[in-house]
Amino acid sequence: MNLLDHRIAAEPYYRPLGGEITLFEAAYASRMPMMLKGPTGCGKSRFVEHMAWKLGKPLITVACHEDMTASDLVGRYLLDSNGTVWHDGPLTRAVRHGAICYLDEIVEARQDTTVVIHPLADDRRVLPLEKTGELVTAHPDFHLVISYNPGYQSVLKDLKESTKQRFAALQFVYPDAALEAEIVAHEAGIGLTDARLLVAIGERARNLKGHGLNEGASTRMLIHAGQLMARGVAVEDACQVALILPISDDADMRAALTAAVAACLR
Amino acid sequence: MSADAALRFSALQGRLGGFIGALWAQHPKLQSLAPEGLDPPRRVNFGHGVIRVPEAFRGIPPDAQSRLFHAALAHAGAHLRYTTARLLPGGLKPLQIALVSLIEDARVEHLAMREFPGLRRLFLPFHVAEPAHGALVPALLARLARALIDPDYADPDFWVMKGRAMFLAAAEDWHDPAVSRRIGGLLGNDLGQMRVQFDAKAYIVEPAYRDDNLGLWVPAAAPPAADSETILEAARAEKSETEPPRGEDGEPDNQPANATRPADPGDDTGMPIATYPEWDFLIRQARPNWTTLRAYKPKPGDKAAIDGIIGDHAPVARKLSALIRTACASRPRRLRHQAEGDALDLDACINAAISLRAGEMPDPRIYTRVERRIRDLATLVLLDVSQSANDRLPGGLSILALERAAAALLGEAMESLGDRFAISAFCSNGRHDVRYCAIKEFAAPFDDDSKRNLAGLKAALSTRLGAALRHAGAELARESAYRRLLLVVSDGEPSDIDIGDRRYLAEDARQAVQELARRGIDVFCVGLNAGGGSDFGRIFGRHRVFQIDRIESLPEKLPQIYLRLTA
Repeated sequence: MNLLDHRIAAEPYYRPLGGEITLFEAAYASRMPMMLKGPTGCGKSRFVEHMAWKLGKPLITVACHEDMTASDLVGRYLLDSNGTVWHDGPLTRAVRHGAICYLDEIVEARQDTTVVIHPLADDRRVLPLEKTGELVTAHPDFHLVISYNPGYQSVLKDLKESTKQRFAALQFVYPDAALEAEIVAHEAGIGLTDARLLVAIGERARNLKGHGLNEGASTRMLIHAGQLMARGVAVEDACQVALILPISDDADMRAALTAAVAACLR
Repeated sequence: MSADAALRFSALQGRLGGFIGALWAQHPKLQSLAPEGLDPPRRVNFGHGVIRVPEAFRGIPPDAQSRLFHAALAHAGAHLRYTTARLLPGGLKPLQIALVSLIEDARVEHLAMREFPGLRRLFLPFHVAEPAHGALVPALLARLARALIDPDYADPDFWVMKGRAMFLAAAEDWHDPAVSRRIGGLLGNDLGQMRVQFDAKAYIVEPAYRDDNLGLWVPAAAPPAADSETILEAARAEKSETEPPRGEDGEPDNQPANATRPADPGDDTGMPIATYPEWDFLIRQARPNWTTLRAYKPKPGDKAAIDGIIGDHAPVARKLSALIRTACASRPRRLRHQAEGDALDLDACINAAISLRAGEMPDPRIYTRVERRIRDLATLVLLDVSQSANDRLPGGLSILALERAAAALLGEAMESLGDRFAISAFCSNGRHDVRYCAIKEFAAPFDDDSKRNLAGLKAALSTRLGAALRHAGAELARESAYRRLLLVVSDGEPSDIDIGDRRYLAEDARQAVQELARRGIDVFCVGLNAGGGSDFGRIFGRHRVFQIDRIESLPEKLPQIYLRLTA
């Protein structure tokens, strides 16, 4: 199995913010498990895709959710006409065939689930399959990457210390204004002037983080707004649809943001 | 009337706070100024991190009120951002002060509009001065204000146009606050030479969205700011009302000197409701019926104080409500391996099929279902209100004030989670008088009465922790719940006037905690002695103590600890 479906053919656009590409390559060279920290929509997943493309490795992404069990990662027995048959889960496939396994939003998964990655994330690099009794030794290309957004919910949901300490981490932040404008312009296909305006508007929403908003407007949201603008939607409407309405259910916050957007417009 | 009320400041406060925060990344506290009667119209006033806004502006059409509030806050925010230091009045005359303020207003607005061009649309409609309004000083000032901000406005007055020319010529230097002083001073001299009359007392800043300018100046010895400074004083007084008066003396409780301290004056004796044993670690035996617990009626205080606390901690409260939403949202749980349910549990099915083929009896529990897990939980929060809680922290707040704030926020959180909870406070005055005060009982809602009780809480006397724990445990034991949680908030180790040995009461409390653990009651302690070196670990067990190093963060931390304990 060469995981053809999981190979990335075309280069995913990624604008480096600092030395993260070099750092990731160095970590990959020694197969050090990586943790990508940062707010939602700042480019963590895009970065992993870009690195998988750059390194020429298949990428298996698992979006973690709170109902996920260890079998969802590792695999389970299924029934067929002759009896039971073992079916590898996404993590096991990545381990066997040498892919980058990206566990997105790992804190969402229950803590007992995340423990299965422990033997993979230290120097053992093995995955014991409890149900079959098999001990899968990781393929030399296998690499484990998780993303982790230590947001407002971190009081309730946090990684175990024993999990955290197995990883090296890269911190992602929203890029500074000039860079972010460049990214928004590229991704949305709009001019730099419009992109700068959107970034200035995004800055307004980020000012409200912790003061009514749980999270500021992400680069992804700004790109969404930009994409609408590229299709001829007016700025106010694009911001309303792609930014203000999704970001908060609080009528006051939405009114405040609408007024702030109006203040940014010429 | 209701449509009118919707346009008042208090109805718009939330969005206005968000607006100023979004624009300026500053989050000043917003306060409402009472509606004016027949007094002169009020203007926004700011200073010391607070912006005070009139409840409504007089003479403004209803449809413009909201825009006016937004303009007012955008203007005040521009000052917060660009008026970096308060100006010194020096030898300036009232007219010059008014002019410097006016130029400063225009300067910060221009800087703000460079960043946010849309603000021009917000500000301009309120500039309605025109030559027909006359040439008295207030009219001239309003015309100048308009000329500085409205490029399309033309004024026949030479002085107004000169002011505009000077101001625009300085556009390169607008970032420098000294510009206002220079231009304002020159224009003031010109007006002075014209010998026009200026009544500083009757002068009202126009247009209405601009502030009263008092926040720009360092108050002089005899400030024209009298009116607003009294407002500020009132605000301060209001704030300190939320704190209890300080005790007469600051003696630590475990000093024998306390034995002679008169029992809390004005407090009627409580009704004895229970006796409890006390553990003597020297004889390794409990002394039966050794302590008498008396119930004291809480003294209702001012509920506004608690609402004020909740208002003061609004960002914390908002963060908490977000946490609570996630705590509620994460409640549905998938139950696997069930005897009945709405879907097949694949893993269980496979195991059953394997068993069938192996000729074994299959496990019939092959279903899965999603269930909303009920938080079957009863919590009692026990507050230590001994004399030491009157200690002031560097910030000026007493520990008791923080305990109350924390209890108020936690109460709000628990109420919105729908958890059952009670709040009690204790202190002691010898073994015959362990005082226990129920602020909120399990059966009662967390309503105005409970808040009044919380507000009326006073700190005095000592800390006989063991007896209070036993009683709180007995109360909790009456609640039928899957999990029973006793959360103790204390600022020091146990002590009392009739005990000399420090270890005695600590060992007794430790014994009480162990007794409660055996009855299935989880006891946790939130320790407030920043210095460390306490017996809490010994009493409660190391993992059951949350030490708070920055006591100021208690209101934020306590509900978080609670959520973590119950998640």
